[in-house]
Amino acid sequence: MMTFLKLAWRNIWRNKRRTMITISAIVFAVLAAIVMQSMNRGSYEVMIDRMVSFSTGYLQVQDYRYDSEASLDNAFHYDDALREKVLGADPRITIVVPRLETFMLAANDVSTRGAIVFGVKPEKEQDFNQIGNYLAEGRFVEANEQAVVMGKGLADRLQLGVGDTLALIGQGRFGMSASGLFEITGLIEHPIHDMNNSAVFLPLGTAQELLSAEGHITGLLISVQQARQTDAVARSLRSTLEDSELVVFTWPELMPELLELMEMDLAVPRLLTVVLYVVIGLGFFGTVLTMTMERLREFGVLLSVGMKRGSLSLVLLIETLIISVMAVTSGIVLSWVLLKLVDPITLSGDAAQAVIDMGFDPIIPMSFAPDQFFIQGLYVFLIALLVFLFPLIKVLRLNILEAARS
Amino acid sequence: MTIVRTEKLSKVYNADTVPVHALNNVCIEIDEGEFTALRGPSGSGKTTLLNMIGGLDKPTEGKVFINGEEISKMKDSQRIDFRLRNIGFVFQHYNLIPVFTAAENVAFIMMLQGRDKREIQERTNKLLDQVGLGDRKDARPAQLSGGQQQRVAVARALASEPRFILADEPTANLDTKAAMNLLDIMEKMNREQSITFVFSTHDQRVIDRARRVITMVDGAIDQDEIQDPDNTQAG
Ligand SMILES: Nc1ncnc2c1ncn2[C@@H]1O[C@H](COP(=O)(O)OP(=O)(O)OP(=O)(O)O)[C@@H](O)[C@H]1O
Ligand SMILES: [Mg+2]
Repeated sequence: MMTFLKLAWRNIWRNKRRTMITISAIVFAVLAAIVMQSMNRGSYEVMIDRMVSFSTGYLQVQDYRYDSEASLDNAFHYDDALREKVLGADPRITIVVPRLETFMLAANDVSTRGAIVFGVKPEKEQDFNQIGNYLAEGRFVEANEQAVVMGKGLADRLQLGVGDTLALIGQGRFGMSASGLFEITGLIEHPIHDMNNSAVFLPLGTAQELLSAEGHITGLLISVQQARQTDAVARSLRSTLEDSELVVFTWPELMPELLELMEMDLAVPRLLTVVLYVVIGLGFFGTVLTMTMERLREFGVLLSVGMKRGSLSLVLLIETLIISVMAVTSGIVLSWVLLKLVDPITLSGDAAQAVIDMGFDPIIPMSFAPDQFFIQGLYVFLIALLVFLFPLIKVLRLNILEAARS
Repeated sequence: MTIVRTEKLSKVYNADTVPVHALNNVCIEIDEGEFTALRGPSGSGKTTLLNMIGGLDKPTEGKVFINGEEISKMKDSQRIDFRLRNIGFVFQHYNLIPVFTAAENVAFIMMLQGRDKREIQERTNKLLDQVGLGDRKDARPAQLSGGQQQRVAVARALASEPRFILADEPTANLDTKAAMNLLDIMEKMNREQSITFVFSTHDQRVIDRARRVITMVDGAIDQDEIQDPDNTQAG
């Protein structure tokens, strides 16, 4: 085996320049693919993080009936015991945020608009998505206060401002009528457009009282350390809540359209990666092809002195693998270093302003998710195996005499 | 004891287009310890016969027995294995592995046989000493002269401890001195270890040193004579 390795190793370096060019080409492909993916993933992770923390949470616990009928009747009881239980389900859970959500009419003295009303714990909400940073005017509500903060878009439509009074009219739990007057303490420039035009935030206790839902919430939003842990955390949560009437949803289940959008956006870089690999694969194939053809005579000699076709194929496989291992390792190391150097990319000029206007920070963080490194390595290995088919077939079919004559 | 026996051996190349009858009903026997030259005009079938005997190619008709085993009906993988254990080859063009040193070229065959590491090393040294290359063990083929390369090829052919060695024009690319040197080595091994040698050649000086000379013409055996190499050399 050592001899086969030695043979393969020296064969690779028979033509140093050719081998180096081939390796560099693969390194380049791996590097480009990883950097492209890391940038995409990095910006998507930020985007998901925003979307998720302003709407559904990475995970959400709900009553099992709430999904088919999003009504206050299907809210569930939430207390410290449940909170501890959920937090204890998985160490990767960082924060749990209770919300009581319903649809009501928001009114000034002349007109009404539909509004999504959220009963929230102000300090939790701040930890969760820093909503206070999006205040256009005034301040955020405090716990148990008879006051609201509302989306600026909605306030403008109702021609209301800070210090004015908002009327909320609707139905509470089990058909109880619910209405109340609340002072507006602040206006939010909500980063999600729809929410800006419809959201009203009340302290949780105030909302529960208004909606006759004392001690109840409609959803418990959960954050995890990293987006990609979502599924694993969902599994442990599900087993913890197995015997209850509570069910767990993940953000792709709650916002399938967001996932679709991302998939669509990722289609272009994916296609580019495929093209890149096809080109590189052809180059690799060219090298292996010449490495094979120029040695047919030698193969004939090896077979005639008693080397088995299987052993010879093994040597050629080792050659292909050595080339790809060297290329993949350097590609991964280089891309990691490069990503570390540029991370995070800070946008400037118009691009930065556009992003700031959307309520995002003007930086693109790089993703260092390990799977994107491994996946590229895997692709190269698959290509190497595919490329190896050529020398394999050649060796298996080689006519010793014809080879020796060539 | 008979090492090689062929029965009505025939080989036709390009049977379906322009048939070339390279061998016609060749029957020969070669005994252990022979030092036999195969001669004949170009195209008379010497290489073809050696290839058949060595199991590098299959005859169109007839049979080849080596040590009583019918090599001509073996499967490809069986033949490769049989060659590894029984037959040594020396080709006209040295055919060493260019990326291996002289020692590695010799050791490789024994490695394929799965021998013990220490044994391989000892035997490699011994063989290279025998062919007079004890001091060039670590040279690559490209750093050796044609004669030296051909001596490595002989050492390699001997590495597997074959009963006999087939050599197709082993001296064709060598000058007289190198050719005679190679012959000396082959002869010594033949005499001292009674290894059987069968070699094809056009070279009269080489033919003179054989003890049996088989002459081929048009794919058939024309003459088969025993000679006293010391006499012919003297005359
Ligand atoms: N692979 C082949 N395909 C077709 N014809 C072949 C092939 N190999 C040999 N021949 C033909 O068979 C005949 C015998 O060839 P062979 O190589 O055995 O001759 P030889 O005695 O070794 O000649 P030389 O002294 O030139 O080496 C020749 O007519 C040759 O052209
Ligand atoms: Mg010939």
